[in-house]
Amino acid sequence: MSIALQLLFTGIGIGAVYALVALGFVLIYRATNVVNFAQGQFAMLGAFGMVITTEGLGLPYWLGILLTLAAMALFGALFNLGVYYPLRHRSFLPVVISTIGASILLTNGVLATYGPEPATLPGLTDLPGLNFGGLFLDSQYLAIIAITLVLVVLQYLFFERTLLGKKLQATSQDKEMASLLGIPVAGMIMLTFVYSAVLGGIAGILVAPILFVSVGLGAQIALKAFAASIIGGFGDIPGAIAGGLAIGVIETFGAFYISVPYKDAYAFVLLFAFLLLRPQGLFGEKVSQKA
Amino acid sequence: MSLLELREVDAAYGAVQALRGVSLSVARGEIVALLGANGAGKSTTLRAISGLLRPAGGTILFDGQPIGGLHPERVVRLGIAHVPEGRRVFPGLSVRENILLGASNRRASRAEMAQDASAMFALFPDLVRFADAPGWTLSGGQQQMLALARGLMAKPTLLLLDEPSLGLAPLIVQQVFRIIRQIRETGTTVLLVEQNARVALSIADRGYVLETGRLAVSGAPAELWNNEEVRAAYLGGRVAKAG
Ligand SMILES: Nc1ncnc2c1ncn2[C@@H]1O[C@H](COP(=O)(O)OP(=O)(O)OP(=O)(O)O)[C@@H](O)[C@H]1O
Ligand SMILES: [Mg+2]
Repeated sequence: MSIALQLLFTGIGIGAVYALVALGFVLIYRATNVVNFAQGQFAMLGAFGMVITTEGLGLPYWLGILLTLAAMALFGALFNLGVYYPLRHRSFLPVVISTIGASILLTNGVLATYGPEPATLPGLTDLPGLNFGGLFLDSQYLAIIAITLVLVVLQYLFFERTLLGKKLQATSQDKEMASLLGIPVAGMIMLTFVYSAVLGGIAGILVAPILFVSVGLGAQIALKAFAASIIGGFGDIPGAIAGGLAIGVIETFGAFYISVPYKDAYAFVLLFAFLLLRPQGLFGEKVSQKA
Repeated sequence: MSLLELREVDAAYGAVQALRGVSLSVARGEIVALLGANGAGKSTTLRAISGLLRPAGGTILFDGQPIGGLHPERVVRLGIAHVPEGRRVFPGLSVRENILLGASNRRASRAEMAQDASAMFALFPDLVRFADAPGWTLSGGQQQMLALARGLMAKPTLLLLDEPSLGLAPLIVQQVFRIIRQIRETGTTVLLVEQNARVALSIADRGYVLETGRLAVSGAPAELWNNEEVRAAYLGGRVAKAG
Protein backbone atom coordinates (compact mmCIF):
# COMPACT_ATOMS: atom_id res chain seq x y z
CA MET A 1 0.00 0.00 0.00
CA SER A 2 2.64 2.46 1.04
CA ILE A 3 4.67 1.51 -2.04
CA ALA A 4 1.70 2.18 -4.28
CA LEU A 5 1.16 5.59 -2.68
CA GLN A 6 4.83 6.38 -3.08
CA LEU A 7 4.68 5.46 -6.76
CA LEU A 8 1.51 7.47 -7.22
CA PHE A 9 3.20 10.53 -5.75
CA THR A 10 6.24 10.16 -7.98
CA GLY A 11 4.06 9.48 -11.01
CA ILE A 12 1.96 12.59 -10.45
CA GLY A 13 5.13 14.64 -10.08
CA ILE A 14 6.62 13.56 -13.39
CA GLY A 15 3.15 13.56 -14.97
CA ALA A 16 2.75 17.22 -14.01
CA VAL A 17 5.76 18.03 -16.16
CA TYR A 18 4.23 16.17 -19.10
CA ALA A 19 0.99 18.03 -18.46
CA LEU A 20 2.72 21.42 -18.67
CA VAL A 21 4.28 20.57 -22.01
CA ALA A 22 1.01 19.05 -23.21
CA LEU A 23 -0.73 22.32 -22.34
CA GLY A 24 1.72 24.10 -24.61
CA PHE A 25 0.83 21.72 -27.46
CA VAL A 26 -2.88 22.23 -26.92
CA LEU A 27 -2.83 26.01 -26.53
CA ILE A 28 -0.85 26.50 -29.72
CA TYR A 29 -3.02 23.99 -31.52
CA ARG A 30 -6.16 25.80 -30.45
CA ALA A 31 -4.81 29.20 -31.47
CA THR A 32 -3.27 28.21 -34.80
CA ASN A 33 -4.70 24.78 -35.69
CA VAL A 34 -1.21 23.41 -36.12
CA VAL A 35 0.91 21.20 -33.92
CA ASN A 36 4.14 22.72 -32.69
CA PHE A 37 6.62 19.86 -32.71
CA ALA A 38 9.26 22.04 -31.06
CA GLN A 39 7.24 22.23 -27.85
CA GLY A 40 9.48 19.67 -26.13
CA GLN A 41 12.56 21.66 -27.08
CA PHE A 42 11.09 24.58 -25.17
CA ALA A 43 11.44 22.46 -22.05
CA MET A 44 14.99 21.48 -23.00
CA LEU A 45 15.88 25.16 -23.45
CA GLY A 46 14.38 25.96 -20.06
CA ALA A 47 16.53 23.29 -18.43
CA PHE A 48 19.65 24.51 -20.22
CA GLY A 49 18.76 28.07 -19.26
CA MET A 50 19.01 27.00 -15.63
CA VAL A 51 22.30 25.19 -16.20
CA ILE A 52 23.79 28.24 -17.93
CA THR A 53 22.60 30.81 -15.41
CA THR A 54 23.18 28.92 -12.17
CA GLU A 55 26.07 26.56 -12.96
CA GLY A 56 27.75 28.54 -15.73
CA LEU A 57 27.31 32.10 -14.50
CA GLY A 58 26.97 31.15 -10.84
CA LEU A 59 23.84 33.23 -10.35
CA PRO A 60 21.45 32.49 -7.50
CA TYR A 61 18.71 29.96 -8.30
CA TRP A 62 15.83 32.45 -8.18
CA LEU A 63 17.63 34.83 -10.52
CA GLY A 64 18.36 31.93 -12.85
CA ILE A 65 14.66 31.15 -12.94
CA LEU A 66 13.69 34.75 -13.68
CA LEU A 67 16.29 35.11 -16.44
CA THR A 68 15.39 31.76 -17.96
CA LEU A 69 11.68 32.59 -18.03
CA ALA A 70 12.35 36.03 -19.53
CA ALA A 71 14.54 34.41 -22.16
CA MET A 72 11.84 31.83 -22.87
CA ALA A 73 9.23 34.57 -23.33
CA LEU A 74 11.51 36.32 -25.81
CA PHE A 75 12.24 33.02 -27.49
CA GLY A 76 8.50 32.30 -27.84
CA ALA A 77 8.02 35.65 -29.57
CA LEU A 78 10.92 35.02 -31.96
CA PHE A 79 9.69 31.48 -32.60
CA ASN A 80 6.29 32.88 -33.58
CA LEU A 81 7.84 35.48 -35.90
CA GLY A 82 10.35 33.13 -37.47
CA VAL A 83 8.66 29.74 -37.56
CA TYR A 84 4.90 30.34 -37.61
CA TYR A 85 4.10 33.85 -38.81
CA PRO A 86 5.58 33.68 -42.33
CA LEU A 87 3.56 30.50 -42.98
CA ARG A 88 0.33 31.50 -41.22
CA HIS A 89 -1.76 31.48 -44.39
CA ARG A 90 -0.45 28.09 -45.47
CA SER A 91 -1.99 24.76 -44.72
CA PHE A 92 -1.27 22.45 -41.78
CA LEU A 93 1.68 20.57 -43.28
CA PRO A 94 4.09 23.39 -44.19
CA VAL A 95 3.74 24.86 -40.70
CA VAL A 96 4.22 21.49 -39.01
CA ILE A 97 7.32 20.85 -41.09
CA SER A 98 8.56 24.29 -40.13
CA THR A 99 8.20 23.46 -36.42
CA ILE A 100 9.93 20.10 -36.93
CA GLY A 101 12.76 21.95 -38.67
CA ALA A 102 12.99 24.36 -35.76
CA SER A 103 13.08 21.44 -33.36
CA ILE A 104 15.98 19.83 -35.21
CA LEU A 105 17.80 23.15 -35.38
CA LEU A 106 17.40 23.72 -31.64
CA THR A 107 18.54 20.22 -30.71
CA ASN A 108 21.63 20.40 -32.87
CA GLY A 109 22.34 23.98 -31.91
CA VAL A 110 22.47 22.98 -28.26
CA LEU A 111 24.46 19.84 -29.12
CA ALA A 112 27.03 21.90 -31.02
CA THR A 113 27.31 24.41 -28.18
CA TYR A 114 27.29 22.15 -25.13
CA GLY A 115 28.11 18.75 -26.45
CA PRO A 116 26.37 15.53 -25.54
CA GLU A 117 27.50 15.45 -21.89
CA PRO A 118 24.49 15.61 -19.61
CA ALA A 119 24.54 18.21 -16.84
CA THR A 120 22.93 18.00 -13.43
CA LEU A 121 21.15 20.67 -11.48
CA PRO A 122 20.33 20.96 -7.78
CA GLY A 123 16.69 21.10 -6.74
CA LEU A 124 14.58 24.17 -6.10
CA THR A 125 15.05 23.87 -2.37
CA ASP A 126 17.49 22.23 0.05
CA LEU A 127 14.65 20.94 2.19
CA PRO A 128 14.72 17.19 2.31
CA GLY A 129 10.99 16.63 1.99
CA LEU A 130 8.23 15.33 4.17
CA ASN A 131 7.80 12.01 5.88
CA PHE A 132 4.31 10.62 6.40
CA GLY A 133 4.60 7.34 8.19
CA GLY A 134 6.63 5.53 5.56
CA LEU A 135 5.55 7.76 2.67
CA PHE A 136 8.36 10.07 1.63
CA LEU A 137 7.37 13.21 -0.23
CA ASP A 138 10.48 14.53 -1.96
CA SER A 139 10.69 18.33 -1.95
CA GLN A 140 11.36 18.68 -5.68
CA TYR A 141 8.35 16.54 -6.55
CA LEU A 142 6.24 18.49 -4.08
CA ALA A 143 7.40 21.72 -5.72
CA ILE A 144 6.56 20.40 -9.18
CA ILE A 145 3.08 19.38 -8.12
CA ALA A 146 2.39 22.61 -6.25
CA ILE A 147 3.67 24.87 -9.02
CA THR A 148 1.76 22.97 -11.70
CA LEU A 149 -1.40 23.18 -9.63
CA VAL A 150 -1.02 26.94 -9.18
CA LEU A 151 -0.32 27.42 -12.90
CA VAL A 152 -3.33 25.40 -13.93
CA VAL A 153 -5.60 27.37 -11.62
CA LEU A 154 -4.19 30.71 -12.77
CA GLN A 155 -4.53 29.71 -16.38
CA TYR A 156 -8.12 28.63 -15.82
CA LEU A 157 -8.97 31.93 -14.15
CA PHE A 158 -7.24 33.83 -16.94
CA PHE A 159 -9.16 32.09 -19.73
CA GLU A 160 -12.50 32.04 -17.96
CA ARG A 161 -12.54 35.29 -16.04
CA THR A 162 -10.69 37.89 -18.12
CA LEU A 163 -11.68 39.62 -21.31
CA LEU A 164 -8.24 38.93 -22.77
CA GLY A 165 -8.78 35.24 -22.08
CA LYS A 166 -12.09 35.42 -23.93
CA LYS A 167 -10.41 37.13 -26.86
CA LEU A 168 -7.86 34.34 -27.00
CA GLN A 169 -10.68 31.79 -27.01
CA ALA A 170 -12.52 33.70 -29.72
CA THR A 171 -9.33 33.75 -31.80
CA SER A 172 -8.96 30.01 -31.48
CA GLN A 173 -12.60 29.43 -32.46
CA ASP A 174 -12.91 31.71 -35.49
CA LYS A 175 -10.02 33.96 -36.50
CA GLU A 176 -11.82 35.73 -39.31
CA MET A 177 -14.75 36.63 -37.07
CA ALA A 178 -12.40 37.69 -34.29
CA SER A 179 -10.63 40.09 -36.63
CA LEU A 180 -13.99 41.47 -37.83
CA LEU A 181 -14.73 42.39 -34.22
CA GLY A 182 -11.42 44.21 -33.89
CA ILE A 183 -9.58 41.56 -31.90
CA PRO A 184 -5.89 41.72 -32.88
CA VAL A 185 -5.53 38.15 -34.07
CA ALA A 186 -1.79 38.25 -34.76
CA GLY A 187 -1.25 39.66 -31.27
CA MET A 188 -3.35 36.92 -29.70
CA ILE A 189 -1.30 34.26 -31.48
CA MET A 190 1.92 35.97 -30.42
CA LEU A 191 0.72 35.91 -26.83
CA THR A 192 -0.08 32.20 -27.13
CA PHE A 193 3.42 31.39 -28.37
CA VAL A 194 5.03 33.46 -25.64
CA TYR A 195 2.94 31.78 -22.96
CA SER A 196 3.53 28.29 -24.37
CA ALA A 197 7.27 28.89 -24.47
CA VAL A 198 7.20 30.05 -20.85
CA LEU A 199 5.14 26.98 -19.89
CA GLY A 200 7.67 24.75 -21.65
CA GLY A 201 10.47 26.62 -19.88
CA ILE A 202 8.82 26.09 -16.50
CA ALA A 203 8.47 22.38 -17.26
CA GLY A 204 12.19 22.26 -18.09
CA ILE A 205 13.18 24.17 -14.97
CA LEU A 206 11.09 21.88 -12.80
CA VAL A 207 12.22 18.62 -14.34
CA ALA A 208 15.93 19.46 -14.67
CA PRO A 209 16.83 18.48 -11.09
CA ILE A 210 15.19 15.05 -11.39
CA LEU A 211 16.41 14.11 -14.87
CA PHE A 212 19.74 14.64 -16.53
CA VAL A 213 19.85 17.86 -18.54
CA SER A 214 20.80 16.81 -22.04
CA VAL A 215 19.79 17.52 -25.61
CA GLY A 216 17.65 14.40 -25.53
CA LEU A 217 15.48 15.84 -22.78
CA GLY A 218 13.21 17.71 -25.19
CA ALA A 219 12.31 14.74 -27.35
CA GLN A 220 11.86 12.50 -24.32
CA ILE A 221 9.35 14.84 -22.71
CA ALA A 222 7.71 15.87 -25.97
CA LEU A 223 6.79 12.31 -26.90
CA LYS A 224 5.06 11.72 -23.58
CA ALA A 225 3.39 15.13 -23.64
CA PHE A 226 2.21 14.59 -27.19
CA ALA A 227 0.75 11.23 -26.21
CA ALA A 228 -0.87 12.99 -23.24
CA SER A 229 -2.49 15.57 -25.52
CA ILE A 230 -3.93 12.85 -27.72
CA ILE A 231 -5.19 10.85 -24.77
CA GLY A 232 -6.82 14.07 -23.58
CA GLY A 233 -8.55 14.50 -26.93
CA PHE A 234 -6.25 16.88 -28.80
CA GLY A 235 -7.33 20.45 -28.11
CA ASP A 236 -8.93 19.76 -24.76
CA ILE A 237 -7.22 21.51 -21.84
CA PRO A 238 -8.46 19.43 -18.89
CA GLY A 239 -7.84 16.34 -21.04
CA ALA A 240 -4.21 17.29 -21.63
CA ILE A 241 -3.63 17.77 -17.91
CA ALA A 242 -5.30 14.48 -17.01
CA GLY A 243 -3.47 12.74 -19.87
CA GLY A 244 -0.10 13.99 -18.63
CA LEU A 245 -0.80 12.84 -15.09
CA ALA A 246 -2.05 9.46 -16.32
CA ILE A 247 1.09 8.84 -18.33
CA GLY A 248 3.34 9.86 -15.45
CA VAL A 249 1.55 7.52 -13.07
CA ILE A 250 1.36 4.58 -15.45
CA GLU A 251 5.00 4.70 -16.47
CA THR A 252 6.08 4.95 -12.83
CA PHE A 253 3.99 1.93 -11.86
CA GLY A 254 5.09 0.05 -14.97
CA ALA A 255 8.74 0.72 -14.26
CA PHE A 256 8.35 -0.61 -10.72
CA TYR A 257 6.10 -3.61 -11.25
CA ILE A 258 6.92 -4.67 -14.78
CA SER A 259 10.23 -3.51 -16.15
CA VAL A 260 12.41 -0.42 -16.01
CA PRO A 261 13.91 -0.63 -19.53
CA TYR A 262 10.40 -0.49 -20.98
CA LYS A 263 9.55 2.65 -18.98
CA ASP A 264 9.25 4.84 -22.04
CA ALA A 265 6.96 2.37 -23.79
CA TYR A 266 4.06 2.45 -21.31
CA ALA A 267 2.92 5.88 -22.50
CA PHE A 268 2.51 4.44 -25.96
CA VAL A 269 0.63 1.38 -24.79
CA LEU A 270 -1.80 3.78 -23.16
CA LEU A 271 -1.88 5.88 -26.31
CA PHE A 272 -2.67 2.85 -28.51
CA ALA A 273 -5.40 1.81 -26.14
CA PHE A 274 -6.97 5.24 -26.39
CA LEU A 275 -6.67 5.48 -30.14
CA LEU A 276 -8.39 2.11 -30.44
CA LEU A 277 -11.03 2.39 -27.76
CA ARG A 278 -11.62 6.06 -27.17
CA PRO A 279 -10.26 8.17 -30.03
CA GLN A 280 -12.21 11.23 -28.91
CA GLY A 281 -10.05 11.37 -25.79
CA LEU A 282 -10.64 11.23 -22.07
CA PHE A 283 -13.40 13.81 -21.85
CA GLY A 284 -14.52 13.32 -25.45
CA GLU A 285 -17.26 15.69 -26.44
CA LYS A 286 -19.20 16.60 -29.54
CA VAL A 287 -17.07 18.22 -32.19
CA SER A 288 -19.41 21.20 -32.23
CA GLN A 289 -18.70 21.72 -28.58
CA LYS A 290 -14.97 21.61 -28.90
CA ALA A 291 -13.74 24.99 -29.88
CA MET B 1 -20.94 63.32 -49.46
CA SER B 2 -21.74 59.64 -49.21
CA LEU B 3 -20.79 57.79 -46.09
CA LEU B 4 -19.60 54.86 -48.19
CA GLU B 5 -18.57 54.91 -51.80
CA LEU B 6 -17.26 52.13 -54.00
CA ARG B 7 -15.69 53.16 -57.31
CA GLU B 8 -15.02 50.55 -59.96
CA VAL B 9 -14.12 47.89 -57.40
CA ASP B 10 -12.70 44.61 -58.69
CA ALA B 11 -12.18 41.56 -56.51
CA ALA B 12 -11.06 38.01 -57.18
CA TYR B 13 -10.52 34.72 -55.38
CA GLY B 14 -7.40 33.44 -57.10
CA ALA B 15 -8.44 32.98 -60.72
CA VAL B 16 -12.17 33.49 -59.99
CA GLN B 17 -13.13 37.08 -60.75
CA ALA B 18 -15.94 37.83 -58.30
CA LEU B 19 -16.47 41.60 -58.74
CA ARG B 20 -15.98 43.63 -61.91
CA GLY B 21 -16.07 47.41 -61.66
CA VAL B 22 -18.70 47.67 -58.96
CA SER B 23 -19.63 51.24 -58.05
CA LEU B 24 -22.19 52.07 -55.42
CA SER B 25 -22.78 54.57 -52.68
CA VAL B 26 -24.56 54.69 -49.37
CA ALA B 27 -25.58 58.00 -47.79
CA ARG B 28 -25.60 58.62 -44.07
CA GLY B 29 -28.75 57.31 -42.44
CA GLU B 30 -29.87 55.18 -45.40
CA ILE B 31 -30.79 51.53 -45.58
CA VAL B 32 -29.46 50.29 -48.91
CA ALA B 33 -30.30 46.81 -50.16
CA LEU B 34 -27.82 44.83 -52.23
CA LEU B 35 -29.65 42.08 -54.09
CA GLY B 36 -28.79 39.36 -56.54
CA ALA B 37 -28.82 35.65 -57.19
CA ASN B 38 -26.48 33.07 -55.64
CA GLY B 39 -22.88 33.77 -56.51
CA ALA B 40 -23.61 37.29 -57.78
CA GLY B 41 -20.94 38.78 -55.54
CA LYS B 42 -23.00 40.25 -52.71
CA SER B 43 -20.94 38.74 -49.89
CA THR B 44 -17.75 39.52 -51.77
CA THR B 45 -18.75 43.19 -51.87
CA LEU B 46 -19.16 43.23 -48.09
CA ARG B 47 -15.90 41.34 -47.62
CA ALA B 48 -14.07 43.91 -49.72
CA ILE B 49 -15.52 46.73 -47.62
CA SER B 50 -14.74 45.18 -44.25
CA GLY B 51 -11.22 44.17 -45.23
CA LEU B 52 -11.63 40.39 -45.33
CA LEU B 53 -10.73 40.54 -49.02
CA ARG B 54 -8.24 42.94 -50.55
CA PRO B 55 -9.80 44.50 -53.66
CA ALA B 56 -7.85 43.86 -56.84
CA GLY B 57 -8.73 47.31 -58.15
CA GLY B 58 -10.84 50.39 -57.61
CA THR B 59 -11.42 52.61 -54.59
CA ILE B 60 -13.44 52.23 -51.43
CA LEU B 61 -14.09 55.45 -49.53
CA PHE B 62 -15.55 55.62 -46.05
CA ASP B 63 -16.31 59.12 -44.88
CA GLY B 64 -14.06 60.30 -47.69
CA GLN B 65 -11.07 58.21 -46.57
CA PRO B 66 -9.77 55.33 -48.70
CA ILE B 67 -10.15 52.07 -46.76
CA GLY B 68 -9.59 49.51 -49.54
CA GLY B 69 -7.08 46.88 -48.42
CA LEU B 70 -7.07 47.91 -44.77
CA HIS B 71 -7.01 45.05 -42.30
CA PRO B 72 -10.44 44.14 -40.83
CA GLU B 73 -9.25 45.07 -37.33
CA ARG B 74 -8.61 48.61 -38.58
CA VAL B 75 -11.81 48.88 -40.59
CA VAL B 76 -14.04 47.99 -37.65
CA ARG B 77 -12.24 50.59 -35.53
CA LEU B 78 -13.27 53.19 -38.10
CA GLY B 79 -16.90 52.32 -37.41
CA ILE B 80 -17.87 49.66 -39.96
CA ALA B 81 -19.29 46.49 -38.41
CA HIS B 82 -19.72 43.44 -40.65
CA VAL B 83 -22.20 40.77 -39.57
CA PRO B 84 -21.14 38.07 -42.00
CA GLU B 85 -22.96 35.28 -43.74
CA GLY B 86 -23.62 32.30 -41.49
CA ARG B 87 -23.73 34.30 -38.23
CA ARG B 88 -20.36 33.05 -37.05
CA VAL B 89 -21.26 32.95 -33.38
CA PHE B 90 -18.31 31.78 -31.23
CA PRO B 91 -19.59 28.32 -30.34
CA GLY B 92 -17.59 27.82 -27.17
CA LEU B 93 -18.31 31.22 -25.63
CA SER B 94 -21.50 32.14 -23.84
CA VAL B 95 -24.07 34.45 -25.36
CA ARG B 96 -23.04 37.23 -23.00
CA GLU B 97 -19.36 36.76 -23.87
CA ASN B 98 -20.15 36.79 -27.59
CA ILE B 99 -21.94 40.09 -27.07
CA LEU B 100 -19.19 41.62 -24.95
CA LEU B 101 -16.53 40.78 -27.54
CA GLY B 102 -18.52 42.87 -30.04
CA ALA B 103 -17.06 45.92 -28.32
CA SER B 104 -13.47 44.87 -29.07
CA ASN B 105 -13.14 47.65 -31.66
CA ARG B 106 -13.49 50.47 -29.16
CA ARG B 107 -12.07 51.51 -25.84
CA ALA B 108 -14.78 50.94 -23.32
CA SER B 109 -14.58 50.36 -19.59
CA ARG B 110 -15.98 47.14 -18.17
CA ALA B 111 -18.90 49.08 -16.71
CA GLU B 112 -19.68 50.70 -20.04
CA MET B 113 -19.53 47.34 -21.77
CA ALA B 114 -21.82 45.74 -19.23
CA GLN B 115 -24.26 48.59 -19.72
CA ASP B 116 -24.14 48.26 -23.52
CA ALA B 117 -24.64 44.50 -23.19
CA SER B 118 -27.74 45.10 -21.06
CA ALA B 119 -29.06 47.37 -23.79
CA MET B 120 -28.59 44.49 -26.25
CA PHE B 121 -30.49 42.11 -24.01
CA ALA B 122 -33.26 44.72 -23.87
CA LEU B 123 -33.30 44.89 -27.67
CA PHE B 124 -33.24 41.09 -28.01
CA PRO B 125 -35.19 39.86 -24.98
CA ASP B 126 -35.25 36.31 -26.40
CA LEU B 127 -31.53 36.08 -25.64
CA VAL B 128 -31.84 36.86 -21.95
CA ARG B 129 -32.54 33.34 -20.79
CA PHE B 130 -29.60 32.02 -22.83
CA ALA B 131 -27.17 34.63 -21.52
CA ASP B 132 -24.89 32.02 -19.97
CA ALA B 133 -25.47 29.24 -22.49
CA PRO B 134 -22.69 28.48 -25.00
CA GLY B 135 -23.23 29.89 -28.49
CA TRP B 136 -23.52 26.50 -30.16
CA THR B 137 -26.68 25.64 -28.22
CA LEU B 138 -28.72 28.44 -29.86
CA SER B 139 -31.20 27.94 -32.69
CA GLY B 140 -30.59 29.61 -36.04
CA GLY B 141 -32.88 32.51 -35.25
CA GLN B 142 -31.32 33.05 -31.86
CA GLN B 143 -27.86 32.94 -33.42
CA GLN B 144 -28.94 35.59 -35.89
CA MET B 145 -30.15 37.80 -33.04
CA LEU B 146 -26.86 37.22 -31.26
CA ALA B 147 -24.83 38.05 -34.37
CA LEU B 148 -26.80 41.29 -34.75
CA ALA B 149 -26.38 42.17 -31.09
CA ARG B 150 -22.64 41.49 -31.31
CA GLY B 151 -22.39 43.67 -34.42
CA LEU B 152 -24.27 46.51 -32.71
CA MET B 153 -21.94 46.36 -29.71
CA ALA B 154 -19.31 47.92 -32.01
CA LYS B 155 -21.51 51.07 -32.09
CA PRO B 156 -20.98 51.19 -35.83
CA THR B 157 -21.61 54.16 -38.08
CA LEU B 158 -22.18 51.69 -40.89
CA LEU B 159 -23.56 48.20 -40.40
CA LEU B 160 -23.00 45.58 -43.10
CA LEU B 161 -25.56 42.77 -42.85
CA ASP B 162 -25.19 39.61 -44.92
CA GLU B 163 -28.45 37.70 -45.35
CA PRO B 164 -29.91 38.21 -41.89
CA SER B 165 -33.11 36.40 -42.96
CA LEU B 166 -31.43 33.24 -44.23
CA GLY B 167 -33.00 30.11 -42.79
CA LEU B 168 -35.36 31.94 -40.45
CA ALA B 169 -39.09 31.33 -40.03
CA PRO B 170 -41.25 34.14 -41.48
CA LEU B 171 -42.23 35.39 -38.05
CA ILE B 172 -38.61 35.69 -36.97
CA VAL B 173 -37.74 37.39 -40.27
CA GLN B 174 -40.34 40.04 -39.44
CA GLN B 175 -38.79 40.47 -36.03
CA VAL B 176 -35.25 40.80 -37.38
CA PHE B 177 -36.32 43.38 -39.95
CA ARG B 178 -38.22 45.37 -37.37
CA ILE B 179 -34.98 45.55 -35.42
CA ILE B 180 -33.01 46.61 -38.51
CA ARG B 181 -35.46 49.47 -38.97
CA GLN B 182 -35.01 50.37 -35.31
CA ILE B 183 -31.24 50.31 -35.75
CA ARG B 184 -31.48 52.86 -38.53
CA GLU B 185 -33.69 55.08 -36.39
CA THR B 186 -30.87 55.33 -33.89
CA GLY B 187 -28.71 56.83 -36.65
CA THR B 188 -26.86 53.78 -37.93
CA THR B 189 -26.51 53.43 -41.69
CA VAL B 190 -27.19 49.94 -43.06
CA LEU B 191 -25.98 48.13 -46.16
CA LEU B 192 -28.17 45.06 -46.36
CA VAL B 193 -27.40 42.01 -48.48
CA GLU B 194 -30.43 39.82 -49.06
CA GLN B 195 -31.82 37.14 -51.29
CA ASN B 196 -35.23 37.79 -49.80
CA ALA B 197 -35.84 40.77 -52.08
CA ARG B 198 -39.37 41.46 -50.97
CA VAL B 199 -38.52 41.95 -47.32
CA ALA B 200 -35.30 43.80 -48.10
CA LEU B 201 -36.99 46.25 -50.47
CA SER B 202 -39.77 46.79 -47.96
CA ILE B 203 -37.39 48.52 -45.57
CA ALA B 204 -34.72 49.87 -47.94
CA ASP B 205 -34.44 53.44 -49.21
CA ARG B 206 -32.62 52.31 -52.34
CA GLY B 207 -31.43 49.08 -53.84
CA TYR B 208 -28.74 47.70 -56.13
CA VAL B 209 -28.93 44.48 -58.06
CA LEU B 210 -25.73 42.55 -58.76
CA GLU B 211 -25.42 40.06 -61.58
CA THR B 212 -22.34 37.84 -61.79
CA GLY B 213 -20.01 40.41 -60.32
CA ARG B 214 -21.44 43.47 -62.11
CA LEU B 215 -24.05 46.01 -61.07
CA ALA B 216 -27.10 45.41 -63.23
CA VAL B 217 -29.60 47.98 -61.99
CA SER B 218 -30.14 50.36 -59.13
CA GLY B 219 -32.97 52.53 -57.98
CA ALA B 220 -35.77 53.10 -55.52
CA PRO B 221 -37.43 49.97 -54.12
CA ALA B 222 -40.65 50.53 -56.07
CA GLU B 223 -38.72 51.01 -59.29
CA LEU B 224 -36.82 47.78 -58.81
CA TRP B 225 -39.88 45.96 -57.70
CA ASN B 226 -41.90 47.06 -60.72
CA ASN B 227 -39.15 46.55 -63.26
CA GLU B 228 -40.38 43.42 -65.09
CA GLU B 229 -36.95 42.49 -66.34
CA VAL B 230 -35.36 42.80 -62.92
CA ARG B 231 -38.13 40.87 -61.28
CA ALA B 232 -37.97 38.05 -63.72
CA ALA B 233 -34.19 37.81 -63.80
CA TYR B 234 -33.10 38.47 -60.24
CA LEU B 235 -35.95 38.85 -57.86
CA GLY B 236 -38.91 36.81 -59.06
CA GLY B 237 -37.67 33.34 -58.28
CA ARG B 238 -36.34 34.46 -54.96
CA VAL B 239 -39.57 36.06 -53.87
CA ALA B 240 -41.53 32.96 -54.67
CA LYS B 241 -39.02 30.79 -52.82
CA ALA B 242 -38.72 33.03 -49.80
CA GLY B 243 -42.52 33.68 -49.90
N1 LIG C 1 -13.59 31.51 -51.01
C1 LIG C 1 -13.85 31.52 -52.31
N2 LIG C 1 -13.00 30.94 -53.18
C2 LIG C 1 -13.26 30.95 -54.51
N3 LIG C 1 -14.34 31.51 -55.06
C3 LIG C 1 -15.23 32.09 -54.25
C4 LIG C 1 -15.03 32.12 -52.83
N4 LIG C 1 -16.08 32.77 -52.28
C5 LIG C 1 -16.88 33.12 -53.30
N5 LIG C 1 -16.37 32.72 -54.48
C6 LIG C 1 -16.96 32.95 -55.81
O1 LIG C 1 -17.15 34.33 -55.97
C7 LIG C 1 -18.38 34.60 -56.59
C8 LIG C 1 -19.21 35.53 -55.72
O2 LIG C 1 -19.51 34.88 -54.48
P1 LIG C 1 -20.27 35.58 -53.30
O3 LIG C 1 -20.12 34.72 -52.12
O4 LIG C 1 -19.86 36.98 -53.19
O5 LIG C 1 -21.77 35.52 -53.84
P2 LIG C 1 -23.11 35.90 -53.12
O6 LIG C 1 -23.79 36.89 -54.01
O7 LIG C 1 -22.88 36.31 -51.73
O8 LIG C 1 -23.92 34.53 -53.19
P3 LIG C 1 -24.88 33.83 -52.11
O9 LIG C 1 -26.21 34.45 -52.31
O10 LIG C 1 -24.88 32.41 -52.54
O11 LIG C 1 -24.31 34.05 -50.76
C9 LIG C 1 -19.03 33.25 -56.84
O12 LIG C 1 -18.76 32.89 -58.17
C10 LIG C 1 -18.32 32.33 -55.89
O13 LIG C 1 -18.26 31.03 -56.43
MG1 LIG D 1 -23.35 35.49 -49.93
